[in-house]
Amino acid sequence: MTDTIQEEQAVQSELTAKFPALGGAIRIQRSRRIFARIPHEQFHDCFDYLVKDMKFNILTVITGTDEGESLGVMYHLSRESRIVLSLFTTVPKQNPVIQTVTPYFPAADAYERELVDLLGFQVQGLPPGFRYPLTDDWPAGQYPLRKDWKPSPAAPPTQAEKNEVKDV
Amino acid sequence: MPVLEKVVTWARIKSPWILHFNSGACNACDIEIIAALTPRYDIERFGIVLKATPRHADVLVCSGPVTHQIKDRLIRIYEQMPEPKFVVAVGTCACSGGVFKGCYNVSEGVDSVIPVSAYIPGCPASPAAIIDGVAKLLGSLKQS
Amino acid sequence: MFEKPVQVPIGPQHPALKEPEGFIITLSGERIMRAGVRLGYNHRGIEKACEERTYIQAIYLIERICGICSHSHATCFCQTVEEIAGLQIPKRAAYLRTLIAELERVHSHLLWLGVAGHEIGFDTLLMYTWRDREIVMDLLALISGNRVNYAMNTIGGVRRDITPDQIQQVLKGVDALEERTKYYITVATDEITLIKRLSGVGLLSHDDAIRLGAVGPTARASAVAHDVRRDDPYAAYEEVSFKVVTDNHDDVYGRTLVRVGELMESYSIIRQILKDLPDGPIAVKAPRKIPAGEAVGRYEAPRGEDLHYVRANGTEKPDRVKVRAPTLANVQAVAHMLKDRYLADLPIVVAAIDPCFSCTDRLITVEDPDRRTPGVMTWPQLRQYSLDWHRRRGVDFTHLNKTFRTDKTR
Repeated sequence: MTDTIQEEQAVQSELTAKFPALGGAIRIQRSRRIFARIPHEQFHDCFDYLVKDMKFNILTVITGTDEGESLGVMYHLSRESRIVLSLFTTVPKQNPVIQTVTPYFPAADAYERELVDLLGFQVQGLPPGFRYPLTDDWPAGQYPLRKDWKPSPAAPPTQAEKNEVKDV
Repeated sequence: MPVLEKVVTWARIKSPWILHFNSGACNACDIEIIAALTPRYDIERFGIVLKATPRHADVLVCSGPVTHQIKDRLIRIYEQMPEPKFVVAVGTCACSGGVFKGCYNVSEGVDSVIPVSAYIPGCPASPAAIIDGVAKLLGSLKQS
Repeated sequence: MFEKPVQVPIGPQHPALKEPEGFIITLSGERIMRAGVRLGYNHRGIEKACEERTYIQAIYLIERICGICSHSHATCFCQTVEEIAGLQIPKRAAYLRTLIAELERVHSHLLWLGVAGHEIGFDTLLMYTWRDREIVMDLLALISGNRVNYAMNTIGGVRRDITPDQIQQVLKGVDALEERTKYYITVATDEITLIKRLSGVGLLSHDDAIRLGAVGPTARASAVAHDVRRDDPYAAYEEVSFKVVTDNHDDVYGRTLVRVGELMESYSIIRQILKDLPDGPIAVKAPRKIPAGEAVGRYEAPRGEDLHYVRANGTEKPDRVKVRAPTLANVQAVAHMLKDRYLADLPIVVAAIDPCFSCTDRLITVEDPDRRTPGVMTWPQLRQYSLDWHRRRGVDFTHLNKTFRTDKTR
C-alpha cells in the first residue's frame, strides 16, 4: 500500500468547492485521515452530501467533546476505500441541540445516547429506547464527561490525584 | 432449616457448588475462572461444581469492581443464596476496585456491597491462584 | 402460522425490580418478534478517568477495557498518541506489537470456539479448544510475564524484548497449534450435526452488514471484505503477507469458518514476523507532554475494528479519549439477526458476534403478548431451553461429545 494522498486531496477539493465554509478548516493529517470543521448551520447539508453524494456510507463512531462555551461533536465517517473523515461541529452549551443521524445510520443511536448521557446533548429525532450508558436513577443534570464535572465529594480521590505523576 | 438439610449443606462445603458472577469486570478474571474448570487446571477434581442459579450455590465467585448498573443484582443474588454461603472476590478489581477505583459508576470492589470471605488478588488472578484461594477458603471452613 | 406454545422457563426475578441490562425479547410462540439490547453494565467511566491520568497511566486503564483483547486497545491507543506526537516507533517494536497482536487473536478465536461449542451443547469442543489455548497462554506469559494483560506497550514502542530462545518456543507452539486447528477445521467442514446447527442461523445479508455497521468476522462472514490490517495498516502489517478471510454464508456457520481461517493466517503471520524480525531498539523516548493535536487510530481486534480518537493539549494528560470497541458496532446487527427467529437460537447468535463474556451473563426479559406478565430468564436457563429445543429436533451433540478427539488416534 502506498502512502499517496490523492484520494484525500480529491475529497478535500470537492468538499471545499461545495462548502466554502470549509476553506482552511479541512486538513489532511496523513494518508487516510482527513479532519474537517464546519459551522453547525451548514453541518446537515455537508453531512448529507458526504453520505449520499460522496458515498461515506460508514459511520464508525461519534465523539462528543466539551469545548468550554460550547459542546463539540465529531462524526468519524468512512467509505469503501476505508479512509476516515472526521467532521466536527459545535453547538452552544446553553442550547446543545443536534439532529439524529439515524435516518442515515440506524446503528448511530448508541453513540447518540452516549452524547445525551455523558455530555448533556439533546438529540432531536432520536428513536425511543433505553438510555445508555448510565442507569435510570442517575441524577439529572449530571454529565460526567463535562470538564467541570467531578464525582460527588463523598467519592475517594482518583489514583492520579493520590500518586505523584512520574514516568514508568 | 431442618437438621438433615443442614448436614447436607455443610457436606457440600467440602465440594462446593459455585456461582460465577461478573460485576462489570473486563473479562480477564472471568476467562481465568473458566480456565480453572478446563482440563489443565480442572478445578472439578476437587469436587467443585459450577452452578447456574444462586439458589443452589454455596460459594459466589465474583469478579469486577461492581458497577452502578449491577450493584442491585449482585445484592439480590447474594440474598438468594442459602446459608451457609461464602463470597470469593476474584481479581484486584473485586478486592478493591483495582485500576477503576475512584471512577464514577464503580464501587470499590465487592466488599463495598456484600460481605467477602476470601480475596484473590491479581490482574487477572491466574487459575492457579484462584484454585489456591478457593482451597484455602475450604480449608479454613473445615477447621471451623 | 400458529405455533404450538412451548413452555419458556421464566425465572423468579420479577422484571419490575429494575434490571437495567440485558436483552428484551418480545415473543410470539417460539419466535422473536423484536429484540432489544440494553448495555451499560460494563460502564466504568474509563474515558473520563483517562483525562485525569498521564498517558502512561492511561495505558493501564485502556488495557483493561477488555481482558480478552487488551493488547488491541493498548496498541491502538499508543499508535494514536504516537501519531499526535509525531513519533516513529522502531521497526523491531512494530514487529513485536504484531507478534503479540496475532498471539492475542489466536487465544481469542480459540476461546470463542470453545464458548460457541458450550452454547450449542458441544462441550467437548470447549474442553479441547481451551486446553489447546493453554499453549498460546503459555507463550504470552513467556514473552510478557502475564497470561492476560501483557503490558507490552509504551508510548514510543514496546517494553519487553524477545530472546532467541523464546522465538524458538513460539515457533514450536505455533506448529502444535496449527496441527490442532486443522482438526477443528475438519470438524467445521465435516461434522453434519455442527453444520446443521449453525447453518441458516443469525442471518445477516451483505447489505445489512454494511447498513448496520457490522465489523470483524461477523461482517466478513457476510462477504464484507474489510480488515484494518490490510485496509489501514498499522504496526508491521505492511511487511507481511496474509489473506483477508471472508465467507458468504451470511450466518453463524460462516462466522465459524472465518475465525478458523483467521487462525491459520495468524500462524503464518507469526512465522513471517519471527523470521524477519529486525534488530534494533524496542522503543523511542516519548515526551511526557504530548503536543496539542488529535488523531484517529484503528486496529483489527479479534472481534473487529477498534477505533480510538485522542486529543492532546500540550499537557501530560490527554484532553479527550474516545474508544469505540468492536462489539458495540455489532450490537445492532445482532438485534436484526434475532428478529423473526427462534428464541432457541438466541444464545449462539449472540455468541457468534463474540461479545465480551459479560454480555452473555445478562438477564433476558421476555415479553409475550400471550401471557400478561413478562418474565425474566437467566442466560443458563435460556441455554438449557435452547439445547432441549434443538434436541427435540434431532440436533444433539451427545454422540459427538463422546467421540470427538484432536489427537491422531481418531
